[in-house]
Amino acid sequence: MVFVQVERAVKFFPREDGSYMLVLNGVSFETKEQGITCLLGPSGCGKSTLLNVIAGLERVDQGRVEIVSNHNELGTRPPQLGYVFQDPRLLNWKRVEDNLNFALKGMAIPRAAWDDRLNKYLEMVGLLEFRKQYPLYLSGGMRQRVGLARALVIEPDILLMDEPYSKLDQLTARKLREDTLEICARLKQSTLLVTHDVEEAAYMGDRIVIFSARPAQIVEVLDNPFSPLARDLDDVRFIQFKKQLLQTVLNLVKEKEEA
Amino acid sequence: MSSLNNFTPTGMTQQEEVLSVRSQAESLREETEAALHGARPAAARETLKDVGLRVGSIITLVLVWWVMSLFFPPTLIPKPWETFGEVAAIVTTGHFFVEMGSTLRRVLVGFGIAMVVSIPLGILMGTLRSLESFFEPLVILGLTMPGLIWAVLMIMFFGLTETSAYAAVAVTIFPMLAISIWQGAKSIDKDLIDMSNVFHASAWSKVIDVILPQLVSHILAAIRYGLGLAWKVVVVVEMFGFSNGVGYQVVRGFNVFSMKTVLAWAITFLVVMIVIEFGFIGWLERSVTRWRPRVEAWRR
Repeated sequence: MVFVQVERAVKFFPREDGSYMLVLNGVSFETKEQGITCLLGPSGCGKSTLLNVIAGLERVDQGRVEIVSNHNELGTRPPQLGYVFQDPRLLNWKRVEDNLNFALKGMAIPRAAWDDRLNKYLEMVGLLEFRKQYPLYLSGGMRQRVGLARALVIEPDILLMDEPYSKLDQLTARKLREDTLEICARLKQSTLLVTHDVEEAAYMGDRIVIFSARPAQIVEVLDNPFSPLARDLDDVRFIQFKKQLLQTVLNLVKEKEEA
Repeated sequence: MSSLNNFTPTGMTQQEEVLSVRSQAESLREETEAALHGARPAAARETLKDVGLRVGSIITLVLVWWVMSLFFPPTLIPKPWETFGEVAAIVTTGHFFVEMGSTLRRVLVGFGIAMVVSIPLGILMGTLRSLESFFEPLVILGLTMPGLIWAVLMIMFFGLTETSAYAAVAVTIFPMLAISIWQGAKSIDKDLIDMSNVFHASAWSKVIDVILPQLVSHILAAIRYGLGLAWKVVVVVEMFGFSNGVGYQVVRGFNVFSMKTVLAWAITFLVVMIVIEFGFIGWLERSVTRWRPRVEAWRR
């Protein structure tokens, strides 16, 4: 299986005045080979930067960020990454189907396969009947679904998601989380989800990597005791787990402040 | 559900609450229906009123012209209908189509050349810092140069050939097109560029699928300004000694001091411009912005 390995990653950002700001302070972890790994941490701690490094949009200054395949699934081709952004970042002047085609074209997937892919993944996110629609005529939740379908349609080795539910209303977000969980359980690729929402991490993450405030260090990595489809938001034991996780995060923040 | 049933934050009794919600729903339904039925005729009335106002403004112009013609001899201000008669004569003899054809060709060729060069240059200037620094002074210099001087320079260089007309038009409007597209390219969305990098879009696909669509409104504005400027330059070039084209006809009218002829050619010219502006460019704009819902900013 293909997964992401991050070893002692260090990243600086230059400031306006010429000095440097430390963003990632020696971060190491591995994503699960199958299922969702949640990067949980306070806003602005550097989680999204790390995601951009993995996506190849930025580089680390020290350390290693690698996409590993332990049975040589990739061969010589570069790994393919699907990215779901916080804002859907759709090409508003293209129909839903052409937004997906844009990704297929970039990934050099043969044209003959496009139609089957479109049908499969638009159906998966529940937007098959909207394939001819322009994005600005869709609701925010539907646009985010298009973004998800665009990331899935290239059948990525790794799926990256950067707070994809944070701009949606509560009910839409809840439904989309459920659907994403189900889709990821079915597709089985290694998935990275960045979030600052403890409840979301407890619900979505098979593995939860807890980050400190900037400069980001990893303070704890834990595996979710509940299997994806057994996470019932109303179940007492699950609520208990959520509370524990929240307490852990709060304690970590407190320790950090005292230090 | 049972606990929510007794939960009335407004302090009304349950029955009052139910009644109030019901009446709210009722009035909402009425409003929706009114909106659904009223929407279409209201919009139609609006366009009808628009058309009326537009026609009215032209009629007012002709009326003012007519009143002025009462106070001046016809050699200075001819009567509107006599001028329209001249227009009809020009058009029915077929004279008009030959002359206008020459002028249109010069405008379109010059305009096309300027467009083909300015779109890539504008995009490069907006996206690459070094090219921006290099070309900015040149483009600004070009913009300040009067079209008349370009026309003289081009005729001196190319002689009285079609090439000099094409070149004069292209060189005059080029800086303006380039500036417009350059400014547009500076404001393209970085997030979408990141997105297209993540999905490995080729450079060509980035230009066609991501950058150009964001420049559409800048390009349309550039087309409008550019055509307006092109007409002005081409007439000047034709006046300098071409033996056909609208500019030449105007000079001929001037030489025999026929105000009627000069005005008649000017009017035909205006009509063609308006057809291109409202017909072709309007159609172009509608067809490339179909993806965008109409914004009604001031509707209450």
